[in-house]
Amino acid sequence: MDLFNGAVGTNQVHDFNPGIRDNTHLFWTQPIAGDAVTFNLEHGTASLAADDLDEEDYHNLHNALLDGPSDPASVTFDMRWDAIADPMNVTDSVHRFTGRFRLASVRIEWSADAPGFHFVSDPASTTHNVRSVIGRERNGVFFDD
Amino acid sequence: MDLNRSHLGHAHFWMRPITRRTFLGSAALAGGVAATAGASLPQLARADFDGTATVFPEPIPGGVAPFGIPIHHFPPVPVLGPGPINEPSQITDFNGMVGVCRVTGAGTATDETTGATSRLNFQVDNGFMDGLYVGEDGRTHHGTFAFI
Repeated sequence: MDLFNGAVGTNQVHDFNPGIRDNTHLFWTQPIAGDAVTFNLEHGTASLAADDLDEEDYHNLHNALLDGPSDPASVTFDMRWDAIADPMNVTDSVHRFTGRFRLASVRIEWSADAPGFHFVSDPASTTHNVRSVIGRERNGVFFDD
Repeated sequence: MDLNRSHLGHAHFWMRPITRRTFLGSAALAGGVAATAGASLPQLARADFDGTATVFPEPIPGGVAPFGIPIHHFPPVPVLGPGPINEPSQITDFNGMVGVCRVTGAGTATDETTGATSRLNFQVDNGFMDGLYVGEDGRTHHGTFAFI
């Protein structure tokens, strides 16, 4: 979750993520409670919400990718996917994933806290969706099931 | 992948006490999960479900390399092909529900030392993965993960 003092992509000042896992390099992925997610592909809806989720503030993308110095931080967010297209079946044998997906639009309202710093987003209705997807998929050892 | 393994004295979130970590869990939200995820998962998943996963998954094998640094992640855009979407999951050996996004917007920042406020723009690439996965221990589990 990135903040910029200027246009998106320029003069980044905060980069909140959980870090890259040391042993496997799992990327910016953390366990959350099962009830943080709701999902209904046929209705074309999903949601993800978390309150005071522990993150690190790496301040910019390059430092985050290098797993450089960071400050403890937390984020709270409530986001919702709403499908904007019909379901499509996708099989990508190059990257070995397959499933049924829908392009969607996402609205989010979120806040972040870091030492001496607080951010709160504008209302969810002001979110600009670039590209979002929901789906049900199989990959890895489940790809050929 | 030859990822940078250096860590400069900070503790990742999973090494820190979890006292600050709480989750939204309204009755309505929990009911939605029970009616959707639970109904659609195979028996193995429900039998192994333990709320918050305690075993980490493995990352997807591929990814992109921003600044020449390889990561186990495909952004929602640009679409790299050959399909109409990039792999939305960050975890491999996975069978379940997934969501990913790229959104932008704006908000208000407060310097808590001075009280000064300023306007900042944001980009958020968040997502989730919920379902069966093979963990670092080689066993199959059910879990829910956020991509932040």
